[in-house]
Amino acid sequence: MTIAVRETAVADSRFARWDARWKLAALLVASVGVATLRQPAPAYVVLICSLLMCAIAKLRYRHVRDRILLLLFGILPFIAILPFAIADDGPARTIGFLRASERGLIQAAVLVARCLTIGLLAMILSRTAPIPQTLAAAHALYVPATLVLIAQLAFRYIGVLFEEARRLRIALWCRGFRAKTNRHTYHTLGSVAGALLVRGGERAERVSAAMHCRGFDGTPRVLQQFRTAPNDIHGFLVVLFGTAAIVLWDRL
Amino acid sequence: MERAIALQAREATHRYADGRVALDRVTFTIATGESVAIVGPNGAGKTTLFLRLCGVLSGARDQFSVLGLDPADPKHRKQLPQTVGVVFQNPDDQLFSATVTEDVAFGPLNLGCSESETRARVEESLARVGLPEHGDRVPNKLSGGEKRRAALATALAMRPEILLLDEPSMFLDPRGRRELIALIRELSCTKLIATHDLELVLDTCSRVILLDCGKVVADGPTVEILSDAMRMEQHGLEVPQRLQRSSPQLR
Repeated sequence: MTIAVRETAVADSRFARWDARWKLAALLVASVGVATLRQPAPAYVVLICSLLMCAIAKLRYRHVRDRILLLLFGILPFIAILPFAIADDGPARTIGFLRASERGLIQAAVLVARCLTIGLLAMILSRTAPIPQTLAAAHALYVPATLVLIAQLAFRYIGVLFEEARRLRIALWCRGFRAKTNRHTYHTLGSVAGALLVRGGERAERVSAAMHCRGFDGTPRVLQQFRTAPNDIHGFLVVLFGTAAIVLWDRL
Repeated sequence: MERAIALQAREATHRYADGRVALDRVTFTIATGESVAIVGPNGAGKTTLFLRLCGVLSGARDQFSVLGLDPADPKHRKQLPQTVGVVFQNPDDQLFSATVTEDVAFGPLNLGCSESETRARVEESLARVGLPEHGDRVPNKLSGGEKRRAALATALAMRPEILLLDEPSMFLDPRGRRELIALIRELSCTKLIATHDLELVLDTCSRVILLDCGKVVADGPTVEILSDAMRMEQHGLEVPQRLQRSSPQLR
């Protein structure tokens, strides 16, 4: 098996044309609003809205479906225990000796809707502009420079790390190693992980040297020009007021 | 007419924390505009010498002078990036930004260049290394030769007076290597090239400094040094094929 980081082109859409700063700000506001929802109806509405936004952003169906399944898999442990963990005197369903409260089921459904919505918003953000542009937008929105730099370097070097891991994997394979569930396998994988860490550390030192040789003083400077058009502000206001309306509805 | 001194090492010594001596009383002088090769076997101290010259490794003061600046002096070290450009052995260490343009712009932005000036420098450097259309590419997706040229562009964008190239022909196929040689020959700045590629040395450098175990073993004209078969063998090197062909007795 080979591990590779795939690069995908950004499809032209309203979201792709939206100024990255306004888009980032709008989707962040929307995500915070979604995270505060408690009632099922508003949660379902925002989920439908986010799916519509994915369609407007021209995200590929398969990509969205795969990510949704991955997200569901990730939150499964939390959803699975919620109906049994929240007890109340209301109606309940019995599964064998377990009693799932209706309130717990509703809470689980709201949690699923919220997680999927935030995941979809993040997907829109990451798939409608190149990552460097989004990071530059974050920098322009006063996200601490160190965080932006860490994200930039992580984005750049994740491919190199995978490539390094792939080389080690091939080297192991050529020397007859086959992964099994035994002590030897765990020991070998531990050594490989250690080697990767050591190589990562050495590379970090060399990158740091290269940065200092080019005058880096700890302040990241980016070459990205942003220009705000009226539509960028309109889009932001639509998301802002839409989120405010949904949150108010949720609280009423 | 005597040329001004670009680089000078005076009894320079460097000892790592584990006690290993990487440079042992190294002394040489390089004039402005000279193209000099540093050759020697693995572990000879070539990379350490470069790291000392560009101020990445600290050490005792007054051992090196780079256009009058002392790399060991913290005040002078801040001025070094606009004087010395370094192209590292592995381009993946040098290309750390998300796009080639950002990488090339990194240095000029750190030097305080305006955005328009930076963009002009980026375009000029990428055109100079033959990558004018590669600005939006992700460095990780470039070929070995393209990465090497992009790494060179990152140094050229700083418009350095001295260029240090560490193993510049590593990872290059024959065509990439030929293109690199042509490019190096075009550069008019002072060049110091650390390499095992002695054919490249013949094409690009007029002078060779042979380093072994951290010591300067020989310093002189390229052909004279590289054609000394006994000395080359003594220090883990070989007379380049081209010199062997022209003088069969060197085989």
